[in-house]
Amino acid sequence: MHSMARRCCRWLLLLPLLLGSMSVGWTAPERQNIVVWGVGLGPDTKGDEARIRAFEKKFPQYRVKVLSMGAGAMDPQKLMTAIVGRVPPDVIYQDRFTVSDWASRGAFRALDDLIARDAPTDPSTPTPDKYYPAPWNEASYGGKVYAIPDGSDDRVLYYNTKVFAENADKLRAAGLDPDRPPRTWSEVLAYSKVLTKFRKDGTLERAGFIPNYGNSWLYLYAFQNNSSFLTPDGRTCTLYSEPAEEALKFMIAGYDILGGYAEAQKFQSAQRGNADDPFIIGNVAMKIDGDWIISSLARYGPNLEFKTVPAPVPDDRYYKRGRFKDEKDQFITWIGGFSYAIPAGARNVEGAWEFMKYVASEDGYRIAMAAQRSWEARRGRILVPKIMARKSFNEMNLNDFAPKDPRFADALRTHVSMMPFARIRPATPVAQMLWDQHVRAIEFACLKNLSPKDALKQGQDVVNRELDEIYSADKYPVVDLKVPAIIGTMGAVIGIVLFVAGYKRQRIGLLGRTEARWAYLFLTPWLVGFFVFTLGPMLASLFFSFTQYNVLSDARWVGVKNYQELFHDEQGLLKKAFLNVLYLGGIGIPLGLITGLAIALLLNQAVRGMRYYRTAFYLPSIVPTVATAVLWIFILNADPNRGLINGIWHSTIQAWFGTPPPGWLSVEQWAKPSILLMGLWGAGGGMILWLAGLKSIPTTLYEAANIDGANPRQAFWNITLPQLTPLIFFNTVMGLIGSLQTFEVAYVITGGNGAGPSDSLLTPVYHLFRNGFAYFKMGYASALAWVIFFIALALTATQLLLAKKWVHTEGKL
Amino acid sequence: MGAYGGQALTPELLYILGTLATWVGWVLTFKAASATFRYLFKSPGVNLSDLQRGMVLNGLGAGALLLLGALIPKELGRTVDAAGARFPLVWVLMPWSGWAAVACAGFAILRAFQTFTAITSEEQRKKLIGVPIWLVLCAYFWWLTAQQPGTVSVFRGGIPMSLNVALGIVALAIATLAAMAWISRKTTSRGYGKTVASHAALLIGSLIFGVPFAWLVVTSFKEDKDIANATALHWTPYITVMDKYEDPDEPNFQGKFQNSVVEGSIIAKLPDGRVRIDINKPMAMRGTTFEAFPIELKQVPKEVPEVTGTYNSKPVKGIAIKEMEDGSRKVLIQSPPDLKGTVYTALAKDVENVRKVGLRWQNFTDALDYLPPDTQKGLVYLKNTMILVVMSVIGTVVSCTLVAYAFSRMQFYGQNFLFLVLLSTMMLPGAVTMLPGFLVFRTLGWIDTLYPLWVPSFFAGAFNVFLLRQFFGSIPMELEDAAKIDGCTYLGTLWSVMVPQIKPALAAISIFTAMGAWNNFFGPLIFISSPDKMPVAYAVQLYNSSRGGEPGLLMAFTTMSIIPVVLLFFLAQRYFIEGVTLSGLGGR
Repeated sequence: MHSMARRCCRWLLLLPLLLGSMSVGWTAPERQNIVVWGVGLGPDTKGDEARIRAFEKKFPQYRVKVLSMGAGAMDPQKLMTAIVGRVPPDVIYQDRFTVSDWASRGAFRALDDLIARDAPTDPSTPTPDKYYPAPWNEASYGGKVYAIPDGSDDRVLYYNTKVFAENADKLRAAGLDPDRPPRTWSEVLAYSKVLTKFRKDGTLERAGFIPNYGNSWLYLYAFQNNSSFLTPDGRTCTLYSEPAEEALKFMIAGYDILGGYAEAQKFQSAQRGNADDPFIIGNVAMKIDGDWIISSLARYGPNLEFKTVPAPVPDDRYYKRGRFKDEKDQFITWIGGFSYAIPAGARNVEGAWEFMKYVASEDGYRIAMAAQRSWEARRGRILVPKIMARKSFNEMNLNDFAPKDPRFADALRTHVSMMPFARIRPATPVAQMLWDQHVRAIEFACLKNLSPKDALKQGQDVVNRELDEIYSADKYPVVDLKVPAIIGTMGAVIGIVLFVAGYKRQRIGLLGRTEARWAYLFLTPWLVGFFVFTLGPMLASLFFSFTQYNVLSDARWVGVKNYQELFHDEQGLLKKAFLNVLYLGGIGIPLGLITGLAIALLLNQAVRGMRYYRTAFYLPSIVPTVATAVLWIFILNADPNRGLINGIWHSTIQAWFGTPPPGWLSVEQWAKPSILLMGLWGAGGGMILWLAGLKSIPTTLYEAANIDGANPRQAFWNITLPQLTPLIFFNTVMGLIGSLQTFEVAYVITGGNGAGPSDSLLTPVYHLFRNGFAYFKMGYASALAWVIFFIALALTATQLLLAKKWVHTEGKL
Repeated sequence: MGAYGGQALTPELLYILGTLATWVGWVLTFKAASATFRYLFKSPGVNLSDLQRGMVLNGLGAGALLLLGALIPKELGRTVDAAGARFPLVWVLMPWSGWAAVACAGFAILRAFQTFTAITSEEQRKKLIGVPIWLVLCAYFWWLTAQQPGTVSVFRGGIPMSLNVALGIVALAIATLAAMAWISRKTTSRGYGKTVASHAALLIGSLIFGVPFAWLVVTSFKEDKDIANATALHWTPYITVMDKYEDPDEPNFQGKFQNSVVEGSIIAKLPDGRVRIDINKPMAMRGTTFEAFPIELKQVPKEVPEVTGTYNSKPVKGIAIKEMEDGSRKVLIQSPPDLKGTVYTALAKDVENVRKVGLRWQNFTDALDYLPPDTQKGLVYLKNTMILVVMSVIGTVVSCTLVAYAFSRMQFYGQNFLFLVLLSTMMLPGAVTMLPGFLVFRTLGWIDTLYPLWVPSFFAGAFNVFLLRQFFGSIPMELEDAAKIDGCTYLGTLWSVMVPQIKPALAAISIFTAMGAWNNFFGPLIFISSPDKMPVAYAVQLYNSSRGGEPGLLMAFTTMSIIPVVLLFFLAQRYFIEGVTLSGLGGR
């Protein structure tokens, strides 16, 4: 009875809506857009495309707009900016381990209500029982579901049986069985030692096992060693623990066998892909990797002899002793994968949910797989299905879509069989940060810049600070952002009133007043711009620097905490960032000046061909920075077969002196010189300026010098250079401010991920950008902005003071 | 452990001394050779006995020093093995601080020497002060170097001495000596030498500056397998030779789908009379299917690669008509004539595509085809950039002219103060106002629109105002006064009298604003997320991050993105050069 009444009520409520929608339907039969980010439409996603078309056919009221470039999971900054800027997509295909991150900031919409609403009526609704627990939990946060898991890649050990067979004698000599794969950490190291081969010059020819090649990271090894990077309550990061340290030490030991991490990196970057993939051609004997590589093995390695087994585990775990005595699972894997979520503020939630349900349904999956398979067949390839988070999908994969070739089908089966033993990265608001810090720790420890313990501890401190900030936000008072806005406006009004008063008090005639009024009118554009885009934001940023504010939630007043963090906790990072730009500016500016001046001096002598030379030298400087960076990344490729510079180096310097070419952008010491080199290419811009400067020096000065018997060298040092000092000064000042703000090059080279090898490309503005626009840590970023401002101010002031000593002004600067 | 006042003479020092000896030895060798050359060819006005002495002394010195250098023990130094005779080269490998120390020591010695040769006592004092300063610096740098033990080593290698190398070195030496002699003779008489030398330097320099460009252009015409998976660098682009082929089993049809002409084969006949076509051209649409009535389609021949292979251990030429699932290919033999028409299946590695030198223009069309459908093959990027460029230029020119005119030609209360404020904003790093600026635009609802990228230019940037003010200052007052007497308003005067006078400056400002708008990357990065609102500069980065695996396409796209800028430069070269000169700044 009760429910009956409620249903009636619901219908009554729905009636006007229904009528309304019908009338809308009559007037404008427009289809609603569902904007989806992160799903790329390309040759490898024909299945997705077919599924989208099938969805549109089934639900003709919707039109799916898919954006893949620059949007979606690959670029968290874009998504965050879109959500904060209130223009989010309707569906986002998101890396699952970061879902909790976004959810905790209120950036995603919880899906529980939609699931609860549709589960009873629609059997295809994704519910927890249809999924493996690990991926489902990964997509949940704080007891709520925020995303629907899609793929679920797990990792196993791939080993090249041919390499094993060829080295059977050596393996036997070392007491190892060539017919079975390593099962424990110590075994894999022993195998690696035998299978690793060096060339005569000491470089790697074949790597037995590279700990972090393929896809394993520290996560896998740490999970195997039963360490978790977070306490169960999620409030404390335990990146450092003895098991984790042990796992990291295992990785280092693995690299030591290969001659060190740097050597292994060099080896990796010299490898090529596709048919020349190092695993396929036997340059890497064993690797831990995800299921996605099977399809490329199937495509490029038709003759490859390989097998898959669960990844080797710590010896104690394998033999069930010590800490692992009561352990149930002998082998462990970890999974990642993607999922579909609805960002907060999405305009078409219903459509988005309908789309997500369809994608997660068996019908949808079957259509996608069938379409992908027929496409692969048409282009002459074999379809290898991916491991999925939904159990029934994997059954479908094995039964209906498995490749015929037993090698690949077996590999797929190994992957599926490991799914119940999968661990996930903890669901936490700091998932991305934890990941970034763990990557940093691996790099620093493996390069032996830090001990494993210190590297892990450093990362742990960073993450813990962030956790503290999140969980202790409540203790800081909320500030109403209207208050500073009102104060600011009042300040501006008072300023204007004072100004007007001053203006009124002036004793000038009518003519003067008319002129002044016209002048103010003319100045209006600048004045408005100054208040709205310069002074206002400046003060606002000063205010924000004392708060904790992520735009989506309330701002909280934290006092000088942001500055404290900058100068105390993250002092090393800050120092590194500023030292990097100091390096770039300190070497780059003089280098650019000297090169430009040298060309100009030469050009000043050669009269004929002036136009040609000028164009040739100047043209590179007008190429857009992004295009320059893209081009130079390509030219500076470390592989002599691809990179122009290393190619030339290889056939000249290396051939003559044996000095191998540098790794340029992939090596810490060479990353910044690479940028300097790019900058030098644009030195022609300065050349024009010097040319003009040289031409403006009065010839009488030279004539006088000539009479006094000065030689050209003396004339240069005593006339040319002093006459050019004002120009040099101006360019140094602007150049320093410019190099302090280096950003684009670093961004394009790193692609917005990380900050180059060992943070060698971290610049203050890049750091600011990441904190400001990727995490929307407005407070911290504003504090950093002010630090940059003060340093720029100090540098400029110093230069102005020093200028008196060396700039030749002739009265006026 | 040697006992030099308790200090060990480090092996490193020994190496460095030995290396220096070798270097100086080479210089002396060169001098001796030069003296010999001049002795043999007797330049006029040269004292022959001086030359003789030079030959002997330099030769002896060279021999002694080279011998000394050769005595450096080999164990610690890095050597490069090469069989047979080598043209020896010795170099000290040490960090930059080591080199700085050596340079400082050199300066210290130089200053000490100058102290001795100085004439006046004041000059002597001046030079003497330098000595300890350089020594302290030297010590500091050496200490820095010593902090990193084991970083100093000597590199001993050489260019393997083949006949070619030997001949080359001899030829080079003779050419250099001759050139030097010729230049020295000409310089003293007419100054030709200098011209020749500077032209040579300029030519080489401009070639070096041009190489990256050339590489960019060449690469954008290459096939991907010559770039990404190459086994060697090469400059010549090759293309696969394609042939037309009418496939009797699987005829190829041309039709229209989503407003573009596509080709493909029929994979199914539908009950309603339509057929389903699987697209194979253009590349970006491959694998997509669509339905059409047969009447809408036109049969056209397929394009298939020409290949060479072996059939029954006989070399054959033919065309690869189909790629099979396992990677093998079906080949239709065309020659030799007796096998013509035979079809056989070959493993992928047993057939080679026939290739010829040529330009792959398809990279450019493919690059555009791969862009998201919303962008109309990149035209939308161009349109967005044009909006930015035009609006920014209009905004900058209008607002800056007004403001600069007010500052330079009008009297008003607060003039100096406001101008100072304006100037100081020039030094303000953009980082400070970035975040709140974003919030301002968010409040306005302008995120993911082009407004945040051009509207600010209507509010007069400090630098351009400063520049125009200087320019206004150089126009004689009389012109303006005359206009005022004729009854012109301020705006009228500005428009009809002043603006025509500052046209070159406005042109320069326009060009730099346009370049800035074209290059703007940070703005779109923050404000734009939809592909149909992105400008070109940002699209390049997107292309880089999403299709970096296809360098041919990436380079083609990059080339296309810079063509307009380069064109603009060639069309308005004069204003560019003038603009740089006026603004006192480089291009960026």
